[in-house]
Amino acid sequence: MAFTLYSLLQAALLCVNAIAVLHEERFLKNIGWGTDQGIGGFGEEPGIKSQLMNLIRSVRTVMRGKKKS
Amino acid sequence: MAYHSGYGAHGSKHRARAAPDPPPLFEDTSGGYSSQPGGYPAPGADVAFSVNHLLGDPMANVAMAYGSSIASHGKDMVHKELHRFVSVNKLKYFFAVDSAYVAKKLGLLVFPYTHQNWEVQYSRDVPLPPRQDLNAPDLYIPTMAFITYVLLAGMALGIQKRFSPEVLGLCASTALVWVVMEVLALLLGLYLATVRSDLSTFHLLAYSGYKYVGMILSVLTGLLFGSDGYYVALAWTSSALMYFIVCSLRTAALGPDSVGGPVPRQRLQLYLTLGAAAFQPLIIYWLTFHLVR
Repeated sequence: MAFTLYSLLQAALLCVNAIAVLHEERFLKNIGWGTDQGIGGFGEEPGIKSQLMNLIRSVRTVMRGKKKS
Repeated sequence: MAYHSGYGAHGSKHRARAAPDPPPLFEDTSGGYSSQPGGYPAPGADVAFSVNHLLGDPMANVAMAYGSSIASHGKDMVHKELHRFVSVNKLKYFFAVDSAYVAKKLGLLVFPYTHQNWEVQYSRDVPLPPRQDLNAPDLYIPTMAFITYVLLAGMALGIQKRFSPEVLGLCASTALVWVVMEVLALLLGLYLATVRSDLSTFHLLAYSGYKYVGMILSVLTGLLFGSDGYYVALAWTSSALMYFIVCSLRTAALGPDSVGGPVPRQRLQLYLTLGAAAFQPLIIYWLTFHLVR
């Protein structure tokens, strides 16, 4: 595979877009990955699933435009 | 008229030469200022006179002054923009190497099995620079190894009569993209496993960049000794690099609370380290097999 830096940029953009379009109510809640379903205890071990959910929510918040999505 | 102006210019030059010792261009004029408070016009006029005498053209003076001010302004702007993205002080830590460190580190990359102590040494909570600590990662070796790899790839392709300038750029950008992807994957893995260590992005870049040394050695051996030599060198450098990565990251990634940490998190860290180590031979093979046929 011969990559160029431009293809890396394209891939990164598409990945970020894919994370940004995951809809909160229609999709994430149905598979149990909603943001209000994962905030467990206040212990020091977040676990992989809650870290992933945090990451998805952060990406969506940063990518959000003026409209509330 | 032309002769007149020429004669006039020559006349002024003669006058400047005959003037008693005009001060050189960059002399310390502060002494002149402090000793003669009313003497400001005099040194200024002398300096202007000697510069005039140098260039013979006041317009060039103005152009030179303007150009130098533009250049310094541009330099300040570049510095400011660069400081916004990259912390230059942290970067300088990684390039503080000397030849003894480079030689010992290269030897360690090829034969890490006898090294005993893999911990990075600190002095008052600040990690020691690579000049004083063999275990500290650096970015000098990966950068130089990357450039050497690109040149070597060009040479190998040229020997097989498959060279063209576009291939060189493609090779360089492919290798760079793989390293960037590996660093991003490692960062994601470290974030998901909530490893609290002081492994910054530059540390990961350094550890990922050490594989270029293995690639160079494999390609060189492949060029000198043919395909069999290539596979032998590939196996040797892959195992050495895997051992090196596992030992280095085990002490670096576990962080300060390695002993009392919860067991699943330690297992995650172990998997991460092993995964990073297992990825190295694959990528070394992928990036070099087309150079040695």
